[in-house]
This record gives sequence, structure tokens and C-alpha cells, in this order.
Amino acid sequence: MPVTFTFSEFLSARSVIGDTLAELGDEYPNLWTITPEIGATLGEFRAKFPDRFIDVGIAEQVSVGIASGLAYEGNIPVVSGMLPFLSMRALEQIRSDVCYPNLPVKIIGTHGGLVGNGGSTHYAVEDLALMCALTNMTVTSIGDPLMVGEVLRQSMKMTGPLYIRLAVGKSDMVLYQQGEHDIQIGKGIIARPGYDVTLFTHGTTVAQALEAAEKLAGIGHSVRVVDMFTLKPIDADLIVRCAEETDGRFVVLEDHLAYGGLASRIADVVVDRGISLKAFERLGIPQVFAGFGDDEQLRDKYGYGLTSTVSALIRAMSA
Amino acid sequence: MVDTDITVRPKARTVEELEDLAFELRQKLLHLCGTYEGVVHIGGDLSVADILIALYHYGLNVDPENIADPKRDRFVLSKGHAAVCMYIAMAMRGFFSYDEIVATYGQLGSAYGMHPCKVQLPGVEASTGSLGHGLPIAVGMAKSARQRGEKHRVFALLGDGETGEGSIWEAAMAARSAELGNLVAFVDRNHQLMTSFSEDRVVLEPFHGKWASFGWNVISADGHNMKDLKSIIDSLPSPDSTRPTVVIAETIKGKGVDFMERSIAWHAGSLGKEDLERAMAALESTRKVSA
Repeated sequence: MPVTFTFSEFLSARSVIGDTLAELGDEYPNLWTITPEIGATLGEFRAKFPDRFIDVGIAEQVSVGIASGLAYEGNIPVVSGMLPFLSMRALEQIRSDVCYPNLPVKIIGTHGGLVGNGGSTHYAVEDLALMCALTNMTVTSIGDPLMVGEVLRQSMKMTGPLYIRLAVGKSDMVLYQQGEHDIQIGKGIIARPGYDVTLFTHGTTVAQALEAAEKLAGIGHSVRVVDMFTLKPIDADLIVRCAEETDGRFVVLEDHLAYGGLASRIADVVVDRGISLKAFERLGIPQVFAGFGDDEQLRDKYGYGLTSTVSALIRAMSA
Repeated sequence: MVDTDITVRPKARTVEELEDLAFELRQKLLHLCGTYEGVVHIGGDLSVADILIALYHYGLNVDPENIADPKRDRFVLSKGHAAVCMYIAMAMRGFFSYDEIVATYGQLGSAYGMHPCKVQLPGVEASTGSLGHGLPIAVGMAKSARQRGEKHRVFALLGDGETGEGSIWEAAMAARSAELGNLVAFVDRNHQLMTSFSEDRVVLEPFHGKWASFGWNVISADGHNMKDLKSIIDSLPSPDSTRPTVVIAETIKGKGVDFMERSIAWHAGSLGKEDLERAMAALESTRKVSA
């Protein structure tokens, strides 16, 4: 559907997923959806293809085990659920039943980061560290609702597993005009050009990164925002290029543990490629079990809100 | 290694033929256990030897010359540590070369290892080894068959100790909910875990009642009685039926070798030359008794 959205409009990533899967279900008669009891996202698919939809109830392990069995038979299963549970309760099934035989199972879910106010049982804050450790796994974290649809579409051709992390997905800011960026799994997106410092981010904090860049533009700073929506494989060439083009100054912002997520992925590239930096700042969740509050309050409390982001960028530019 | 010694054996027809094959499988297992320097899960291999012969040489509709035939029955070894017993049972049917298994088992670069890997050994249906994973995979395979209108069955072989894993019961519920009458699980009820007897630390009983209460069709079997296993296979409910079937096969860990039977010491191990002779003699004496 050729609808154009503009930045700051809101759209439900969940409904995009539902519409996209329902559309792909026609093209791919071997596409299945499986959920440990969050059918809402998959309502359209379920209505259209009830024989390729499974709700196993509250049982993450078997949801991934069944997906593995379906994939062994040549199907493309998409498992949709809440990431704190899928990424941890079903971690071994993801590793041994999906990644080990390298099957085209997609794991997609919500509650990546300190979102939803459910408390620490319900925040997936270490999921990217866990998923990036898995051989054969491709790991993505997506902030733009329409991009989710595009990534799902591309993923139909993938032969191995894929992880897609979303925030809550009920109402997500549209960041990109359709066709504005060439979206390719494995390639970072320069969401905003800039030359003084690069702000790398992914998922739910892309909107905040763009806002921080906008604020600093008002006082004459040129901040490049890179949406590194694929964490694995990491776009190492883009990291090298950003170091060259933004004076060796990096800030990484993410709604994930500050150690183990994107910042660590980038730090690995920096070391492996021998990149020399003037500044490297990490903004993310400290090693604590976070309490309650809304998303913005929690980011502020734990030091990776808008104000902290602006301060970190200024520090990086003056280092 | 060239697979020159593979001979595709037709399905066995009689109980006696199957018994002979089970005897041969045990001999081959002991030989491997006596020649391979590492550890073999010999106890749990010997407890499923008859079941694997009954399946690979009678029950399963499979073709060693066409391992990807969509119409084939699927078999998932949920107790993945009995892999070598499965490899040899399959080799005896013509899937693999027994000589190659013996020559390379557990060696660097071999496809034949302690737990089956589908990527390295495409003749097996799934990569397993971590307990509690095979039945959920089998449920996915059975569900796929149903949706495509395929008429084959999906079999899984579980250890009784493995049913301590919660994911087995998640799968039991999922299979009942999806009315997968094309799914047949065999449970090797050998009453032993790695270091204990099942009822001593983990109470599995009432075991039949557990499966029945999850809505499964429950069949009791003597897992070492080929006549029993054959007749159960003959009378399995139609794959079109709506209840998954579990065959609870009463077995003896280490079956066929008196000093291994029901022994905690022989969950896994390696036979030296002397023990190998002793084990072979013990096995031989069982043939004389049954003959």
C-alpha cells in the first residue's frame, strides 16, 4: 500500500507486522506463524490462514521447538511473542533447535528494553547480547514501524534464523519516509547526515537520537545519526567510514545493557580494525534490575534519556 | 571413506527376523563400545535396541535410497544420546556404512558423533541431544504433515528420565490440542537416569496416568518383546485420528549384557578388550536362552 507517512506520525508496528504477514502468506504458502499467547499481532494472519497459525498458550519452549520441526519440513515459521521470555525461556531451543541446524525461523517480539512498565521480569535488556552470541543468527532491532514490514519481506529469502526486536509496538513513531532509505539487512542506515560526531543507535531510541541531533543542530553542531538496526552481522565498513568522516568521535545509545549490545559490537570492530578514536561514549542500561516508570522516566533515571544523550554528544565533540 | 559395504536391506517381516537383527545390533554396539576409546551411552543404547530395530526394520516407512522422500515416516531421536544405536540400526537397513561408523565414530571430521547432527549427517531427521527438545520438534513436523494433507507418521523416541523436562509436557499439551493422531512417541521406560533410579529421586509414576491425563492414547509395551512391539506397530491408530499415541515401553537399561543390566555404573562407559569378551559372551548366552 503506497501510503506516505511523515516523521512524528505514529503507527502500530504490531499492525504492520500483522498486515505484512497476512500479505506474505499469499505469496509463501509455507509461511507459518506461531505464538505463545500474544495472538493480537497475528490476528490478520490467523483470520486468513488458520491452518498455518498455532497458538501454543503460555509455553515459549515448545513454540520454538514446533517452529524448528516446521522448518525442518521446509516451512518458514515466524514465532511472535514477548522477548524477555522468548529470548531467555526458549534460548536453548533457539540455539540448539534453530541455530545449530541453521533453520529459517524468525523470532519477532516486543518489550525490548525498559518499555511497558512491567518491571524487570518484563524488560528484555540482555536479549541482544544473548542473540548476538549465537552462531548463524542474524540479529535486528527496529524502531520504525514500516521498516519492520520491509525486514520481514526481505527475510523470506533468508536461509538461516533471524531475530527481530521491537519495543512495544502499539504506537511507534514513523521515522522514515517510504523509499527514503535503502533498507537492507546487514547495512546500517545514515538516518541523519553529520560530520562532527556519529551517534549510533537502534530500535526504540532512534527517535530520541534524531531529537538530540536536532537540538544540537540548533547550536551549530552536526551530528550524524546511524540506525544500526542490524547488530549481527555488524556493518563494519560503515563504522570505519563514520570514524573517518566524523573525526573519530562515537556515541552509542541503546535501550539495552550498555555492555553486551550495540556498543560492544562496535567496540569489537574498533579494536579488530585498529580504528583510532578520539571519543567513545556508551549510553544504555547499567547493570541493575530496573524498577517501574514510563519509558522516558526510566531512560532519564538510568542515564540514557534525551538530556544525557545531548550531554554525551557534547562531551564526545569536545574530547 | 567409500561406502562400499552398504547393502539396502528390505524390511524384516517376521518376529524372528527382527529378533536376529536386534541381536546383531547389540553385537555391533558392543563391538563399537569395545573398540572406541571414548565413552558410549551403552546402557541406554541397549535399552532401546529392540525398539529401534522394530522401527527402522519394520515400523517406519523409510527408504535409505531416498532420504528426502516427502512421504517417508519421520523419526526424531529425542533421547539423542542413543545416537550410535540409531546410526547402527540405520546402517543395518542401508542408510549408512557400519564399517565407516566403527572406523570414524567420535573422530575429528566424522559425521557420527555422540549426538546426532542433521547438518553433518542428513540421513537423520533432526539435530538432538539436549533432552526435552525432540518431542516439540516432532510436534512441528506432525503439524506440518497435517496442514499439507500428508499421510505419513512422525515418531519420536524419548527416554523416561527425559520426561523430567517441562518442554516434554508443553509438547504433550500442544500435540493433544492440535489433535495430532499422526504423532507416535515411544518412551524408553528403563527406570534409570544417569546416576539414579527414577523413582528414588524423581517420582515419574503414575507414568501412564500422566500421559493419559494429557489426552494421549497410551499403549503399554514390553520394550524387549519383538512380538509385542510388532503387534503394537501393526495396530497403531490411523494417522488421521485425533489423539497422539505414546507407547510406554518397559525396558531394562543395559539389556542383553548381564553385568550391565540395571547397573548405575553402565549408563555410559567404555569396554576394554577383556570386558568386551565378557560382554559378548554374556550377550551370546541370551541368544541360547531365547533359541
